[in-house]
Amino acid sequence: MLDNSRTASQQLLRWGIYGLLALMALIYLMPLWVMLLTSLKDIEEIRSGTLLSLPQGLNFDAWQKAWSSACTGGTCEGISPYLANSFLIVIPAVAISTLVGALNGYVVAMWRFRGSELFFGLLLVGCFIPFQVVLLPMARTLSFLGLANTTTGLVLVHVVYGIAFTTLFFRNFYVGLPRELISAARLDGAGFFTIFRRIILPLSTPIIVVTVIWQFTQIWNDFLFGVVFSGSDTQPVTVALNNLVNTSFGGKQYNVDMAAALIAALPTLLVYVLAGKYFVRGLTAGAVKG
Amino acid sequence: MAALTIDNVQKRYGQTEVLKGIDIAIDKGEFLILVGPSGCGKSTLMNSIAGLEEVSDGRILIGDQDVTRASPKDRDIAMVFQSYALYPNMTVRQNIAFGLEIRKVPKAEREAEVKRVAQMLQIEHLLERKPSQLSGGQRQRVAMGRALARRPRLYLFDEPLSNLDAKLRVEMRTEIKKLHQRLGTTIVYVTHDQIEAMTLADRIAVMRDGELLQLATPQEIYDNPANQFVAGFMGSPAMNFIPCQLAQGDTGIGVQLEDGNGQPVWLPLPDGGAGLQQAQLGKTVTLGLRPEMITEPQPHKAGQPLVREVAIRVDVTEPTGADTMVLTELSGVEVNCRVNPRYPLATGQLASLMFDMSKAVLFDPITEARLDN
Ligand SMILES: Nc1ncnc2c1ncn2[C@@H]1O[C@H](COP(=O)(O)OP(=O)(O)OP(=O)(O)O)[C@@H](O)[C@H]1O
Ligand SMILES: [Mg+2]
Repeated sequence: MLDNSRTASQQLLRWGIYGLLALMALIYLMPLWVMLLTSLKDIEEIRSGTLLSLPQGLNFDAWQKAWSSACTGGTCEGISPYLANSFLIVIPAVAISTLVGALNGYVVAMWRFRGSELFFGLLLVGCFIPFQVVLLPMARTLSFLGLANTTTGLVLVHVVYGIAFTTLFFRNFYVGLPRELISAARLDGAGFFTIFRRIILPLSTPIIVVTVIWQFTQIWNDFLFGVVFSGSDTQPVTVALNNLVNTSFGGKQYNVDMAAALIAALPTLLVYVLAGKYFVRGLTAGAVKG
Repeated sequence: MAALTIDNVQKRYGQTEVLKGIDIAIDKGEFLILVGPSGCGKSTLMNSIAGLEEVSDGRILIGDQDVTRASPKDRDIAMVFQSYALYPNMTVRQNIAFGLEIRKVPKAEREAEVKRVAQMLQIEHLLERKPSQLSGGQRQRVAMGRALARRPRLYLFDEPLSNLDAKLRVEMRTEIKKLHQRLGTTIVYVTHDQIEAMTLADRIAVMRDGELLQLATPQEIYDNPANQFVAGFMGSPAMNFIPCQLAQGDTGIGVQLEDGNGQPVWLPLPDGGAGLQQAQLGKTVTLGLRPEMITEPQPHKAGQPLVREVAIRVDVTEPTGADTMVLTELSGVEVNCRVNPRYPLATGQLASLMFDMSKAVLFDPITEARLDN
């Protein structure tokens, strides 16, 4: 009897939780749904229908326009060139900041030196520095280096800003690995980089996935650095999207705006769909073990 | 020439002294065991020998080469860790071959060496597995295999068996002993297990608080401990420490204590109390007597000069099968006796037990130093 009633109330609780989760998911997915619907309508439909009314058919005109002919400020080539810009910035920036973070984390966790705790502490401060604070000094630095308005300059900015986070990620992962691994490898005759390459990196897959997703999302979604440090032909897609939305001849073209926004968000969405499982796993791995 | 010389090695972390001047020299082929309570600096000493920690002072020589400042890879040492520290991303074969590969040993030679080691440790069928697919005992074997592969000059084992269950531990202990006898390797080995220490060691080094208390053969440590700490640390159940007075008897200086009836009894000391002075008579000392020296009366020993029968009260009996441990109280402390299970005993009653004083030792109750040699 007691058992039965318990399972019944447990079941109720379970369904309650599911219901709540479904509601949350619905709230979070609603804007995406509205965007998708709007991007598939033409202006007439948007004006006459409601936010949630379904489009009459699959009309990809707005997508076409957003991709290749919508006007972003001065030019009218759609957002595709800027999408390419974003990739040119994000890929090297993610790769470099992840690699440097891994090396930093390896040193801070496994090769403590006099002052390494202080070094790590100072690096952590970097995680709390707001974007706005670094704008001016960074602009001076970039022009000093002759990198103002270049893709390389933006890559540098993102690498510098991201290292604090990537180091933190890798360091926290590496402190969970047994230090005796390093000792054993040193006795086997391996040096600093051999140990890193042959033993530590192969164990780092989960944290590499986490860091790559994190950095990819951060850098891809960045607007402030992009708008401040890019030239007109090196703008990332976020800046182009803003220009596109703000450039209006006649009425607002909500369908094109929505399509462009979806295109701009697609890469991060894809990354999450493909690697999201590892992301959650990697984030919790340290917590459970530690 | 010693295979390993540790010359006044000191290690400090800031203000805390972890090693306070350790001196040890071991011969080629010798099996040295380091024992001591947790935190006494055993691992620190091992890491210093391996070069994983820098010593603050003193010298370390391997053979006649001073390696005090040499990096670990130049010391030609292999170490087996308590956690085994197998490389999780490599197969057993790669684990064993890694050190050879780093040292640029040609591939054919590497493979031959892996084969030799795998055969010796009977892990040939495991070579393609990852460490996560092995049992504890198998991992332990692989860790030993990795150490054996390079044929280094010196092996260090830091509690290599402590993660195994009791049965496997006994098996591996025997195997390590056989391996040592067969290969004649020089080994420094840390353990918490006294039986491991007694059975494996050529010599035992007992440490406490970063100091070396005694370095001697297992039998010497057992029979002739340098102080009360060493005496109590080695042996299980531990040596009995009974407070008593030095007193003159008919065969020399002995000790006086109260038996189970509250009657004074006088017990002789080896060599008539050699090393003790008449002036010390009446002084309170600590008598050290191992449980196996207090037994049922054995007729063949009865007449011997250092053997006495004493009445004791049986407080608790603990049969272990081979012997029955009898707990009693003498001079206010608990005393363990090892008695034949067939000897009739009744809890709460008096029993007459035989005290064999031939291995008795005396300690100063305050400094815990040996008094009788
Ligand atoms: N990096 C360090 N900084 C400060 N003190 C340390 C450091 N490493 C070890 N110690 C101290 O040195 C002492 C000896 O440590 P060690 O690991 O050598 O002990 P141990 O004899 O191996 O103990 P166990 O039997 O528990 O393994 C301990 O008191 C420990 O707290
Ligand atoms: Mg230790």
